[in-house]
Amino acid sequence: MVNRIKKLVIYLFLSIWLVITGYPLVFLVQNSFKVRLEFFRNPVWSLPANFTLQNYIEVMESGFYIYFINSIIVCFISVAIIIIVSALASYAISRIDFKFNKLVYILFLAGMMIPIHSTLIPIYKITLSMGLYDRLSALIGPYVAFSLPISVFILTGFINDIPYELEEAAIIDGASRFRIFKDIILPLVKPAISTVAIYNLTLLWNQFAYALVLTSSPGKRILTLGLFEFQGQHGINIPLTLTALFLSVLPLIVLYVFLQEHIIKGMTAGALKG
Amino acid sequence: MKKVLILSLTLLMVFSFVFAGSVMAQDEVTLTLWDIRTAADQATPAVKDAIERFEADNPNVTIEHVPTQNDNYKTKLRTAMSADNAPDLFMTWGSASLERYVDADKVYSLESNMTEDWENNFMLAALDLGRVDNEMYGVPVTNVSPALVWYRTDLFEEYDLEVPETYDELLNVVETFTENGITPFALANSNKWPGSMYFMYLVDRIGGPEALQNAISREGAFNDEAFIEAGRRIQELVEMGAFPDGVNGLDENAAQSRTLLYTDRAAMYLMGSWAYSSFKNEASDMVDQFSFFNFPEIESGAGDPSNLVGTPGDNYYSVSTQAPNKEAAVEFLKYLTDSQMGEQLIEIGNIPPFTGVGEKIEDPIMKKIYDASQNANHIQLWYDQTLPLELAQVHLNTTQALFGMEMTPEEAADQMEEAAQEYYSE
Amino acid sequence: MNKKELMNNKYFIAALFLLPALIFSLVYLIIPIPLSAYYSFFEWDGIGAMEFLGLDNWAELLSDPIFWSSMANNFKLVAISLVIQIPIALFLAVLLTRKIKGASFFKTIFFVPMLLSSIAVAFLWRYMYDPTFGLINGVLNLVGLEHLTQSWLGNPDIVFYSVAAPIQWRFIPLYMIIFMAAISNIPEQLYEAAEIDGANNWQMFFFVTLPMLRATVVNASVLIIVGSLKYFAMIFALTGGGPNHASELMATYLYSKSFTEMNMGYGSTISVALFLVALIVSVVFLRFSKKDVRN
Repeated sequence: MVNRIKKLVIYLFLSIWLVITGYPLVFLVQNSFKVRLEFFRNPVWSLPANFTLQNYIEVMESGFYIYFINSIIVCFISVAIIIIVSALASYAISRIDFKFNKLVYILFLAGMMIPIHSTLIPIYKITLSMGLYDRLSALIGPYVAFSLPISVFILTGFINDIPYELEEAAIIDGASRFRIFKDIILPLVKPAISTVAIYNLTLLWNQFAYALVLTSSPGKRILTLGLFEFQGQHGINIPLTLTALFLSVLPLIVLYVFLQEHIIKGMTAGALKG
Repeated sequence: MKKVLILSLTLLMVFSFVFAGSVMAQDEVTLTLWDIRTAADQATPAVKDAIERFEADNPNVTIEHVPTQNDNYKTKLRTAMSADNAPDLFMTWGSASLERYVDADKVYSLESNMTEDWENNFMLAALDLGRVDNEMYGVPVTNVSPALVWYRTDLFEEYDLEVPETYDELLNVVETFTENGITPFALANSNKWPGSMYFMYLVDRIGGPEALQNAISREGAFNDEAFIEAGRRIQELVEMGAFPDGVNGLDENAAQSRTLLYTDRAAMYLMGSWAYSSFKNEASDMVDQFSFFNFPEIESGAGDPSNLVGTPGDNYYSVSTQAPNKEAAVEFLKYLTDSQMGEQLIEIGNIPPFTGVGEKIEDPIMKKIYDASQNANHIQLWYDQTLPLELAQVHLNTTQALFGMEMTPEEAADQMEEAAQEYYSE
Repeated sequence: MNKKELMNNKYFIAALFLLPALIFSLVYLIIPIPLSAYYSFFEWDGIGAMEFLGLDNWAELLSDPIFWSSMANNFKLVAISLVIQIPIALFLAVLLTRKIKGASFFKTIFFVPMLLSSIAVAFLWRYMYDPTFGLINGVLNLVGLEHLTQSWLGNPDIVFYSVAAPIQWRFIPLYMIIFMAAISNIPEQLYEAAEIDGANNWQMFFFVTLPMLRATVVNASVLIIVGSLKYFAMIFALTGGGPNHASELMATYLYSKSFTEMNMGYGSTISVALFLVALIVSVVFLRFSKKDVRN
């Protein structure tokens, strides 16, 4: 009996939170089926009176899928690079005693404090001088750099936690550092890597400032920029914008559901530890 | 012998010119055009059409059109300009927004390309905002847009109200609506500029156009009586309940103001003439329930009620000094400002700043807007474009604070004057 | 030095491991900071000529009430976020790591706020807060609490809390999954031992779970502190820092100075100040919460 009540209370809490976090999706979906006229006339909370797919058609016709593919390319390449680069750096900071470990660690920590908007103009100039302006690859550099500090922060904490004995045997056998990193450390930090991956992917997917200034031609546009297509100087097509917002988050949700078990399982073994 | 030599040399030169010319003509040229004509922008179809026509006539030139949403556009353009990487063609709002780039040598002077024909194509007032130090740097393309008091004709009828001609009559209208539970003015002021329209009109009606001119020329001041009185009248309206609750938290870009109009919760809307296209897009079945009147006269004041606040031309297009092929770029500007463009703009509810558009307008409301702007004794450009950026921000912030009752009219005026003294003393 | 010696030199090895990260950081992270510091000594609109001002921008910053109030808002955001995000995230994590049906469904939906872009979130909350049509005032009216209805984004006294709410909402899921992972990492034996000692659920939480999560909580706190000190997105989208700077943060202030008012010199001054404040606060926090960040 007591257990039952307990369960009930738990489910009550979970359901309340379910409404609080899940409602935005409902909101996006229900308004994406409205036309402009209805959107302004009835409360935004009401269900669509005349169900229309017009918004979806218009969004799809606006070149959305190109932006979509661009976003996928940039984000996935960036996340792959972030994982490799930050894992390498974290290993050095955590395991190789080169005297400046602490300093390097603090430097990476400092990297987390840099406000994005103060870097726009310097990074724009750097990108121009490297000849990367208006290329998708121009985004990868800043994306990786801005995700590095936090990734190093997470991974270093994790590698610190791995018992040193595991490597000792390998060192005695004369294995190289790279070997140890690849065969012993990497498999062990997999869980932490999933944390880093999902965290950075969600942030980069919604990143927007760099793409705004570093790319120009419509063929190089990413999703977050495409969302603004439906806003004019003096007006906005809100149902269309909400449709685009919903379509842009959909792949992330699908991916999350798909990877969820793996991620959570991964993280089970390796939480964010200090 | 010598003659032959000269002749052959001349021939050679002529040939090489012709040859070079033909090579030039065959060279593929791409011009990059940056503006704010996103899919949702009213004038986008007209600009796209001009691009197509230009490309059809000039097959060797391609225009790469890069539209960016309004606020983002400013950041994008400023960043590119800062790194000397301007697009070949770009858009500004004329006057102060253009001047800054001209001062930094980023804008190509169109003076030498300004044939009489082309110049006569534009309304004079509109042309002025594209000039810096008497030289043309940007040509006006879109919307003559004065701010007008839009109102719901059916609601006025329902409560037996006449269009107010004086400010006191306006106050009566406000009172009637509040008594009946209708918000008199739809206003969303988190963006600051919509509320600024009330302030600009009140200053004009109280002190006439001279009030601002004197404050800028420093013969007068921004804490002169006209400015303080304007602040007082705004706060009087606020206290009467003339504006929606939490007006400073509502977003004009998300149409939180017009939603009140469409749902019968508000009756009037002081807004640029572009509001008409918004009504058409957002509430197509209600369009004939909207009309407008000029901001009423204040009987004791100096301002003429025909005076308008607004802009004689909304968006200005310019050529960058870095554009490798300025000739083609200028040629494109002509397509952007030709009569076909004018007709296209009229069709979408835009009054292009071109001469001779008056006869082409058929829509009665647009005709009325056109007449109002032709009959205006004076058109005051938006303060946030007349004033230098530093002061414009102070003006917008203090006016917003007036609406929020966070500052007294005197404090707001003094703060503005203090900023002006600091700016002009430099 | 021959190749073998080189590969045994730990400095060389460390350099090799760090090199890729250092290249990215050097180009994109390290260069902008001294550059911003340099710009902070100039009057510059970002486009035209630069005029040397010496320390004028810095003097102005120190006497700029808006800068100080925006910094105060940042610290308020840090405090609110620590007090709200960590306990709620912990609570949810504890609930979800119990063996209950449908846990993975809940986990998925609970993560949605993190997946949505700030633009989408700002849209939703703008309509929640609408004084006339909004859901919040609507519900208050429905249950007879008219006197609590508010102009949530228009009233300068409460706007900051109104914009802080969606930020909490958005980031709780992140810490929730981090804590969930950490909890499932706690050895089962500890709970079994506690159970034998007759501990109830609360005691188990306070004497087993919480102590074991200490390191995770400290690191999550660092992420919250840094994130709150340089926060920008949702406040910019919802209020732009207004009305009358009531919800201004250092990052929104630096943006409007640099890009709206085109005062790049002063904007750079703010950004250097923001950088220093965030760095000092996090280093101090780490010092106090862990004796040695490496061990």
